[in-house]
Amino acid sequence: MNPAVEVDRLSWTYHLAARPAVCDISLTIPAGEFTLIAGPNEAGKTTLAMAIKGLIPHSFPGRRAGVVRVFGEEVQRKEAALLAKQVGYVFSDPEAQFTSLTVEEEILFGLENIGVPESEIEHRIRRASELTMISDLLDKPPYDISGGQKQRVAIASVLAMDPEILILDEPTSMVDPLGKDLIVEICAELRRRRRLTLIVIEHNLEAFAALADRIVLIRGGRIERAAAPREFLEDPEFLERSGVYPPQVTQVFARLRAHGLYRGPLPLTDEEGIRAGDALLRGAGA
Amino acid sequence: MVPVDSPFYRYHPVTRLVLLVFLSVTPLFVDMPEINLGLILAALVLLRWGRVRMQQIRRYLPLLATVALFMFGVAFLAPGDRAHLAAFRLAGLTFYFQPMWWAFVSYCRLVAMLFGAILYFSTNRERDTLVALRSLRIPFAVSYVAALSLRSAGMFMEDFRTIREAEQARGLDLESMSVGEKAKLYTMYTVPLFAVALRRADEISNALFARGYTLSGRPAGGGPRTDYLRRRYPVERRDRALSAGLAAAFVVAVVLGKVMGVFSDQLSPLHGAALRTIGLR
Amino acid sequence: MTLVRVEDATFSYPDGTRALDGVTLEITRGEFVALIGQNGSGKTTLSKCLAGLLRPTRGRVVVDGIDTASKGVMKDLVRRIGYVFQNPDHQLFNARVYDEIGYGPKNLGVPEAERDAIIREVAAVTGLHPDLFGEHPFFLSKGLRQRVAIAATLAVRPQVIVVDEPTTGQDYRQSIDVMDFLVRLRVERGHTIVIVTHEMPIVAAYAERVVALRGGRILMDGAAREVFSRPDVLAETFVKPPQATRLAHAWARNGVRGDALTVDELVDAMRAALAARDGPPAGRLEAGAAHPPQEAGDV
Repeated sequence: MNPAVEVDRLSWTYHLAARPAVCDISLTIPAGEFTLIAGPNEAGKTTLAMAIKGLIPHSFPGRRAGVVRVFGEEVQRKEAALLAKQVGYVFSDPEAQFTSLTVEEEILFGLENIGVPESEIEHRIRRASELTMISDLLDKPPYDISGGQKQRVAIASVLAMDPEILILDEPTSMVDPLGKDLIVEICAELRRRRRLTLIVIEHNLEAFAALADRIVLIRGGRIERAAAPREFLEDPEFLERSGVYPPQVTQVFARLRAHGLYRGPLPLTDEEGIRAGDALLRGAGA
Repeated sequence: MVPVDSPFYRYHPVTRLVLLVFLSVTPLFVDMPEINLGLILAALVLLRWGRVRMQQIRRYLPLLATVALFMFGVAFLAPGDRAHLAAFRLAGLTFYFQPMWWAFVSYCRLVAMLFGAILYFSTNRERDTLVALRSLRIPFAVSYVAALSLRSAGMFMEDFRTIREAEQARGLDLESMSVGEKAKLYTMYTVPLFAVALRRADEISNALFARGYTLSGRPAGGGPRTDYLRRRYPVERRDRALSAGLAAAFVVAVVLGKVMGVFSDQLSPLHGAALRTIGLR
Repeated sequence: MTLVRVEDATFSYPDGTRALDGVTLEITRGEFVALIGQNGSGKTTLSKCLAGLLRPTRGRVVVDGIDTASKGVMKDLVRRIGYVFQNPDHQLFNARVYDEIGYGPKNLGVPEAERDAIIREVAAVTGLHPDLFGEHPFFLSKGLRQRVAIAATLAVRPQVIVVDEPTTGQDYRQSIDVMDFLVRLRVERGHTIVIVTHEMPIVAAYAERVVALRGGRILMDGAAREVFSRPDVLAETFVKPPQATRLAHAWARNGVRGDALTVDELVDAMRAALAARDGPPAGRLEAGAAHPPQEAGDV
């Protein structure tokens, strides 16, 4: 079976840029995996994601080297419509994605673009809006809903198209905490339910680390590390120096470990941390 | 803005659009103020029937007053070649009949057109207009761009408000500024507006591509666009009847008006009455 | 010394929604305050009322003795309280960074030579290299644009600086840079800082006073440590304390100080608790075991 995404020595330099945005990057993402892409701003994360989606080189002038393949086929060779069906992309700014006059129409837009038959439309809208918890908003215009809701509408519109790969580019950065939690929940649910390949670009490791199958660190246009979350977060200090903020719980236990006070695996979540801490405190030293 | 529940919604958006054309475009071909006043009355009645809150109409009163002041003011102050005009005195001032009459005719026409538009925009959401356009087989790209523009108008207003606040924080005190000063500082508004709009345009075009949109609006597999929303607006018999009737009435009015001069202002009973009142007949 | 006084301020939008409902608070010189709360809680509205960008529909806001509702006081207010918007694009409008920073002082009539000095100083303080002076702000990265906006606000040297979402969209390093910079402004130059944010780790690490809002009213107003010790109340405005604090709360029942705000504090608290429980920590044991303490008299 073809991997969902195969990035083969990709380099991309934006038109008029001094240096390449990504440099000789190679990455393989098997189908069904949840990949978290982290790294400082302007490291090339969005460039990589857009190259997978085909926005690069379609919408951006620049110089390319290397190849990106989605399910075995080169992205550049695919038709825009097929690409839209296979790879969904949600941007970070909820404002700039809402292009229709009501929520329902927004979800509908993509469906009509890819030629979904009328008989299926209602069902798809319903499913997508239930999963993103916006079923009661279908009739509302964009100015009547919050940023977090708009972002969930964006996710619904893309999900309704039934893509095999879903890319979320900093989905929570412009959303309030409640909205953030809901989006994380949606990602968790997607993880549980479908055989989607999920790629999320995020600074907020605390929320997503435990959900991911693999975390990739991109810095200066190169991949510096790619590993399963526990392994990835092994050296929080290195990550901090590289511009990534590991979950506080992981940082705490790494420091305790450095003081020789803890020897277990580094926790990733609140629950794991509380348990490890309780054990540590009751068990008098690990 | 639009009433939540209005009998207008029982009619197809195209029908409502035809009504707009009838009420707003007919006045262009009609000089006779009685007809235009009748159209205004019809619009007001329909507004009431459509359950539009009359308070909203009050917003337009300052506009109507200003336009009246302007039109009649110009007619009074600059009547043209006085030698060929009939003069009359009122309240110690000299008025000239023809310019005043023509101002009155034009004013009635303008207000009729305005009320037609007011009625339309008070009873149609943006979505209705779009469905109307699409039902008329206007190419999808055109109606979608129209929708985006409408959507952008809303965003534009919000941005403008934010920018005004933001520039206030930079020391822009509009209240205590003269018009000249305000004009000089227009860059404080326009540059941010452009910056925000440009960035957004970029983002929107990316978003469109990401959703598989092609300029023609044709879906991936070829064939016509499903146009799901349009199916939600069934065309009833009364729609066809009403649209046909209004369209026919419009055509008749144009023919009678422009070709046969039936609606000429000289034939207007009011014209005669006015002349008699000021003692010129 | 009270700089900003909010007296029973209420703010209603034309359509009737009440963004602020009878808020009273005082901000004194040199404070570092964070306004937190869910979307719609009124925190942004309050921050704008503080700066005089919005006038309360009832009650009043007094900045350094000036009532913000008075006419024609904007220039005076701008000198005292600066506001940096979340999206720098809304505020920047000059063709060169140099002119952008210099706009405020120019508007206030500062002569050119002095202005140049101010611009250079402020640019240095905000980490904007003089090489950037001739650049058009539109083409800079978001992080740099944000700094230009802050510099432009600082150039007028307002005593109070309000920043709306200083770290949203910034990465870890950039967030620290911005926050450290705000702290330096306060510590080195005596400015008063107010931030509106929903990133709790930032609030916990940098703010000394936290005002939590809900439904247009003040839910809690106190020292950061105090406020974060009441997660049940914070939950009413959909705010969660940072993870370190949550862990501290959970471990409190096992003897850890429950009020840690940062990773550093939590690590220290954990070590202290373990030391109290076990005697000397394992680390010290390593050094001690190999070299038992010298007895008095040995040389």
